[in-house]
Amino acid sequence: MIEVRKLSKNYGDRPAIKDLNFSIGKGEVIGFLGPNGAGKSTTMKILTGYMAPSSGEVKVAGFDVFENPLEVKRRIGYLPETPPVYNEMYVQDYLSFVANLKGVERGKVAAMVATALDKTGLHDVKKRVIGNLSKGFKQRVGLAQALVSDPEILILDEPTVGLDPKQVAEMRQLIRQLKGQHTIVLSTHILPEVQASCEKVIIINRGQIVAEDTLDGLARRMSGGGRGAGHITLRVRRKSDEVAAQLKSIPGVTSSVNAGNFIEVQTLGDEATVEEIASRVVAQGAGLIELRAEAAALEDIFIKLTSANDGLSER
Amino acid sequence: MRGILTIAGRDLKNLLSSSLFYVIAGMCTVLWSYSYMRNLFAFAERSRLMSGQMNGLETGVNIQNGVFMGHISQINLLFVFVVPALTMRLLSEEKRQRTYDLLLTSPVSATQIVLGKFLAGTGAVAALIGISLLYPLSTRFVAEYQMAPLFSAYLGVFLVSAAYVAVGLFASSLSESMMLSVIMGLVFNISLWFLSQGVDAPAGTLQSQMMEHINFGQHFLNFIMGSIKLSSLVFLGSLIALFIFLTQRVVEMSRWR
Repeated sequence: MIEVRKLSKNYGDRPAIKDLNFSIGKGEVIGFLGPNGAGKSTTMKILTGYMAPSSGEVKVAGFDVFENPLEVKRRIGYLPETPPVYNEMYVQDYLSFVANLKGVERGKVAAMVATALDKTGLHDVKKRVIGNLSKGFKQRVGLAQALVSDPEILILDEPTVGLDPKQVAEMRQLIRQLKGQHTIVLSTHILPEVQASCEKVIIINRGQIVAEDTLDGLARRMSGGGRGAGHITLRVRRKSDEVAAQLKSIPGVTSSVNAGNFIEVQTLGDEATVEEIASRVVAQGAGLIELRAEAAALEDIFIKLTSANDGLSER
Repeated sequence: MRGILTIAGRDLKNLLSSSLFYVIAGMCTVLWSYSYMRNLFAFAERSRLMSGQMNGLETGVNIQNGVFMGHISQINLLFVFVVPALTMRLLSEEKRQRTYDLLLTSPVSATQIVLGKFLAGTGAVAALIGISLLYPLSTRFVAEYQMAPLFSAYLGVFLVSAAYVAVGLFASSLSESMMLSVIMGLVFNISLWFLSQGVDAPAGTLQSQMMEHINFGQHFLNFIMGSIKLSSLVFLGSLIALFIFLTQRVVEMSRWR
């Protein structure tokens, strides 16, 4: 659906992105991940045809963004960082304006607007002026705007920035619901967002791709190197010293320490070891309250990849 | 075409429903009412005196020169200031509200965006011109006069205002700040009036002929005097086209930065 080859963009002398190569298949949900200033927004803007690249080529649905920008724009719904809403307009009027602008067939405009309102749950506010809506609702209007022409591709640039936790959860819920209907590119620097919504991740740092894999694949790659061994936190009601001591004898456990409120156990990351630990604790009658296994979290992977200069050298 | 009309429709609605438009229309109306009444009364007084002196001769004073000309130059004077205030929002506000991103990622070309904006601006100014036309038209109730010269004069007003809109749109494309857009638009408008000033070419030479052709005031005066010249139409038409073209370049340029 989206093919990016050797894409570069310079702002004056400063390169924003260098030689990006990736491709996104139809129906995939891609997390585009990177710290602030890594070149996420620049890439998004080039994908949407908003901005021309300095070199390289981008093909969307078979059309070159540079040669055929109008065809590409017809197939893309884009939600920029700041939702592009007219504060003085009514929600409904605004959406039909966007539908007309995107070239939705005249007879279908009303129906498409109604569908977009449905999908984003904006029916209650459709007769209100956008400027009077809360930030979360404005963001939803922005999403509705991207959806209204029923595009093949949705590009969402940091859709949850600045929302309160409840709104963030609602936004993610919305994005999850859109899965399967569109190819989605979601740019963010918030990791749980990727875990919540995406199947595949592209991590970008200083204008270059440092990793491109599925979520599981990434986790496996990181822990496979032996660095991200499993860390298990246990809470028991009784006999914590004895439990900690006994766990050391389980094969695969490298250390087991009673840290007061918790027992911290380091393992080699094998699932069988976790199972064994659980059954031992229960068998001992220590009153297991909590057992938390943390595999190498996306957070660790992200920090490792974006702080180390070499990153994943095999890419 | 649909892209143009969609943008024009939204922007025109936005302009006409803004408080800014009502304030401007209200203030223009106050000024026009005051001066038009004065002109009309002065004219009535003069024509009464003249008709007494001339004892029924046909060549009385001319309402076109006596009243309408003053009215129209006042419309023009106000528009030099007012049109940039109306057009400032067309592109500057889009940039400030970040809705520019929406326009540039929609399947419409830069030309369509600019033409849509131009139509909206011209529409709003046409509404103001419509208000100003009420004065001469209401005079029909109390005086007989020929419509053709009035039509010519208003065509002139319309074209000159459309040029102001194109200039204001260009000014608006240059900056995110509306204040700056207004000031630039104003300076450009005033410069139009000085296009052929300050060149001391002897009459009859090529230079002086060229200067005559780009004399903004002279073209406007032709319309007011009731003569619609092709050269004036071409001049104002190309002026509008030039500024629309420049604006189109500026909008297109934003893709390359």
